[in-house]
Amino acid sequence: MHVIEVDRVSRSFRSVKKKAGLKGTLELLVKPEYQESQALQEVSFSIEAGAFVGLIGANGAGKTTLLKILSGLIPASSGKARVLGVDPFERTLDFRRSISLVMGQKAQLWWDLPAVDAFDLIQAIYEIPKAKYQERLHTLAELLDVTRLFQTQIRRLSLGERMKMELIGALLHWPKVIFLDEPTIGLDVLAAHKLREFLREFNHREKATIILTSHNMDDIERLCSRVMILRSGKMIYDGKPEGLTKKGERQLSVRLLEKPTAEELSRQTGVASSQIVLANGETEEEIPEGSVRFTLGNEQIVGTLQKLMQSYQVIDMSIHEPDLEYVIQRMYESGESNEAKGST
Amino acid sequence: MSWRLAALKNGFQEDAAYRVEFFLSIFSSALVPAAIQIILWYALFQLGGQTEVAGWSYAQLIQYTLVSTLFTQVRGGDHDFDLQEMIRTGSLSNYLLKPISAVEFVYLRGVGGRLFVALVCLCIGTLAFAAFGFSIPRLWGAMLLAIAGNVIHYQIGAVLATAAFLWEEAYSLLMVKNMLVQLLSGELIPLNLFPVASQWIWKSTPFYLYVYGPTQYALGNWTHSEYLHGLGMALAWMMGLSVLIRLSWGWGIRKYSSLGG
Repeated sequence: MHVIEVDRVSRSFRSVKKKAGLKGTLELLVKPEYQESQALQEVSFSIEAGAFVGLIGANGAGKTTLLKILSGLIPASSGKARVLGVDPFERTLDFRRSISLVMGQKAQLWWDLPAVDAFDLIQAIYEIPKAKYQERLHTLAELLDVTRLFQTQIRRLSLGERMKMELIGALLHWPKVIFLDEPTIGLDVLAAHKLREFLREFNHREKATIILTSHNMDDIERLCSRVMILRSGKMIYDGKPEGLTKKGERQLSVRLLEKPTAEELSRQTGVASSQIVLANGETEEEIPEGSVRFTLGNEQIVGTLQKLMQSYQVIDMSIHEPDLEYVIQRMYESGESNEAKGST
Repeated sequence: MSWRLAALKNGFQEDAAYRVEFFLSIFSSALVPAAIQIILWYALFQLGGQTEVAGWSYAQLIQYTLVSTLFTQVRGGDHDFDLQEMIRTGSLSNYLLKPISAVEFVYLRGVGGRLFVALVCLCIGTLAFAAFGFSIPRLWGAMLLAIAGNVIHYQIGAVLATAAFLWEEAYSLLMVKNMLVQLLSGELIPLNLFPVASQWIWKSTPFYLYVYGPTQYALGNWTHSEYLHGLGMALAWMMGLSVLIRLSWGWGIRKYSSLGG
């Protein structure tokens, strides 16, 4: 059964354009100019009940806009969206009782009060029976290990602790559909790990449908059975995370005694230089210092290694599947270069 | 507990979280207007040698000033400013997704502290009225009218705040409203000191129900029927503004872009 159905949804925003400087300020007062931006373009998909879906995209790709449409905060400019069988923008009481939206960059709890006061208010808002409320609060606090912090003012908590409280506040009413917008943003490794474990457990235990946006590929890889990728408001991928990597594609990492350039390596091995990444400080990718990474088909590996050994002294080597971050980065880069070609 | 009661309690808890600020706020907002009035009346009567201004004696004007202070404390609140800020920054989203009325919720969370102030003023006023032989039931009735004024004040603010859906900046509108309220509520001067020809101005707004009406009733200058008429007017304004809130918010929500995130 489909819990979420999105059919050719588009959304544009109109905003005032302000030029720089005093002249721009005066022009804005007298004759404001407007600009239209297209945040989503004809996006379509559907999601089964109980799914854990990752929504990926660069800044401004339209992820948060999509979540806002699905949670009923803003309407679509065109197209149709249905969540739990209703138009989310109608925001019926039943719908609001059944969903939750957590924004990592926006606090929903009240800063000057201890978390337990905020939870009591949430209990009253959602009319959660006292016994159920206590049981849920206990379960969530145990899972997230924050019981001892209930009496502390929210603003006195660390970012990670606050985020955990936000999650408890967002889940106390046991929503059927949860939208998580970068819930691990700013968290340290341990806190992010705990949150992930918690989300996995909640999804597994309660069969809640979850859509998660994150820039952290760890979040997506470890939690989501399905990934959707947005670029400039368009859906460019919708499928399993494994489907993102080319079948049989591997990454061969070698450490050489010599320091050849990518062009030299390409010449010696016959591998295109676009498939070679050097850890020479000029790239942002995480490759061990002094290493070279080749992205190759299975059948190319042995031949490439032989050629490398004929020309250089190989100190160390390893073969592994490309990680999601690398694949998505490539996907974005190739899309951008295609768009650039298209525009010239 | 219903969410309305819980919101009221929660708002009071939040106000009380900062004790010094909370206790200062109880008496601060009416002090300046009261001081201005006392200086003005002193200048007119003691230095200027007046014996009466528009039918008011010096003692009556001082009584008005002191009693109006009780009701000036109750009027107002800045929850309408909170509302426009929420629209502007997108934090309204937190409330729109909850199964409550966002406008009502923001008011109830904000008014908790103000109701406590009303209770304190009522206690002080009751003691003072008992000591000087004024009618205590009138004081209580006047406080009811002042609380109705507080609701109306927020309702007007809630309607004006919807301008933020369009301009993202309704702050100045609310500021203008507050300045008008200061002038036309009777917290600076008794409104019947206005020239007769311009009395229609304050009579055509609900602002006189915030301070002037309650003070006049508490001091015995309004008859019971004038008071009931004032209460009826307050109810009519509240109902009319409720409809206006529904309309303006129904329109505004469609323009809401939920910034941030």
